[in-house]
Amino acid sequence: MLLAFALPLALLLQQAPIADRLRGRVSPEIAALATELGTAAAARGLPLDPLIQKAIEGNAKGVPADRVAAAMRLVVSQLDASHTALRGSPALAADTVAVAAGAFALNAGLKDGDVAALSRSVADAPASDVIVGLRVAGTLVALGVPPAETVNLVQATLKAGRPAGELLGLPGQIQAQVAKGTPPAQAAAGLARAAAAQSRRGPPPGRGQPPARPGPPPHP
Amino acid sequence: MLAGDSDRYAALVERYRDRYARYAARMLGSADAAEDAVQDAFVRAYDQLAQCKEPEKFVGWFFLILRNRCFAERRRNRTSAPLEAAESVAAADRTDGGAESAERRRALQLALLELTPDQREVFVLKHVEGLSYGEIAERLSTSVPSLKMRMHRAYDKLREQLREQR
Amino acid sequence: MSEREFHSFVKQLLDGDITIADLPAELRSEGEEALRLLAAVDRRPVQLDGLTARVMAQIAEHPKRKFWRRVLQPREFRVRVRPWLMVPALAAAAALVLWIGRSGPPSSPASPALVTVRFVLSAPDAHEVSVAGTFNQWNADATPLVRTDAGVWTATLTLPAGEHQYAFVVDGVRWVPDPAAPAVDDGFGRRNSVLTL
Repeated sequence: MLLAFALPLALLLQQAPIADRLRGRVSPEIAALATELGTAAAARGLPLDPLIQKAIEGNAKGVPADRVAAAMRLVVSQLDASHTALRGSPALAADTVAVAAGAFALNAGLKDGDVAALSRSVADAPASDVIVGLRVAGTLVALGVPPAETVNLVQATLKAGRPAGELLGLPGQIQAQVAKGTPPAQAAAGLARAAAAQSRRGPPPGRGQPPARPGPPPHP
Repeated sequence: MLAGDSDRYAALVERYRDRYARYAARMLGSADAAEDAVQDAFVRAYDQLAQCKEPEKFVGWFFLILRNRCFAERRRNRTSAPLEAAESVAAADRTDGGAESAERRRALQLALLELTPDQREVFVLKHVEGLSYGEIAERLSTSVPSLKMRMHRAYDKLREQLREQR
Repeated sequence: MSEREFHSFVKQLLDGDITIADLPAELRSEGEEALRLLAAVDRRPVQLDGLTARVMAQIAEHPKRKFWRRVLQPREFRVRVRPWLMVPALAAAAALVLWIGRSGPPSSPASPALVTVRFVLSAPDAHEVSVAGTFNQWNADATPLVRTDAGVWTATLTLPAGEHQYAFVVDGVRWVPDPAAPAVDDGFGRRNSVLTL
């Protein structure tokens, strides 16, 4: 608190949100680390929320300070890695929501190359859908689908031009099949084949194709 | 007041401040009004701490104090709360694509504010907080049949309000 | 024109004592109207950041003097102005919604921006269960689950679209991931459950 008064205003304005969100929720030592790491991360274009959440989480779980500090540094390194992996798509790299989604996917078990591959789906689908794809990819890996099958399935779903809601349904579909005894990799491969078949049939109406009945063409 | 007592109370506040925040927000129509009520309730609870016989039951005892604040708040701000309800719900939803469902949420919240506090409370405790009639009866020291009567009247009034709003 | 009151069967539906399938055909549409009413209930968690400081500050002032002031000055209706430095009362939920909104076009109709979620844990031997996660600042006291018969605990929340992590807290001390959900490393040697909406 006293330290805050000694800093110039611009720096204060950047740091005040971090300090505010952590006040009463973490030790002063962790708050200071969060402010230090967070200010630098924000300057690199990284989102702050994952770092702040991790600090709060560690405190709530009663984790020793050095372990919390290590976890916070890991979060920042994952955010950096995500930012780098998304570099091929400027729309995603500049979007803190996308960077956070990529970091989540990395934490779940995807590799940098997998995140980079998924980012290339912006050629097939809007950026907001690709972001959902990154989150869903992380969730699928967390369910036990191997990274290669995960990337394949998410890419195929994005390419098929289905709305984001369908991406969000993928983990549930995998879980249902696993519950019946299908291994996750096989379940994912099956869904990917179905999505690819849909691609060949063409995207649903509204994504650039005229409706079956005669009538005015849909707005693009 | 000893410094130690103050620290202990601050820790209590920190622990429980969000527990009934949603209940207060739905009773009063906005998070802002809830904040006022919860703040007042914690201050009152501090003043009356000697009357809390069992420390483990602080939460339940605090709930009753907050409940009184919510009932009192509504009497004071009757004409102004609906405006806050619109603002606070709209502020959270203004960038999402679900404008229709946000509108329905807002409409129901406004309709809830037209119920008596007793009717609104049983609706909030059951349908927002997820308590059973039995649990609500225990918490409010009343009977399940009388709660059901209140609730069924609430359902009809809500239906009427929602139709009138259209 | 139509009845002002819900039919008593529909009230049982609203109470959760019967399902819509139990209603006779002529009450079906009234039943659907009732369910739409329930679907509009706002169950979003509400967080009151900064409240502790304000409570302790108010307590630090002389309590009696404060009471006098309140009696002498009638309470005015005030619209709370929030400087951007402060986190709004709707806290994490609102922040996430705004966060997602800034990234591009709004989510498609197939994926609503707010989703109602039910958390369920079977724990017959537990005395208390709560859920803590990114949506309530990992506060183990903010969202208690309610125990039903057969030892199943549940809580219903309305959450914004996005990726959420959480765990159940049993008897105030044991952090337990959701056995039915995907799990990721929490960075502290344990696992968090994932909810992707």
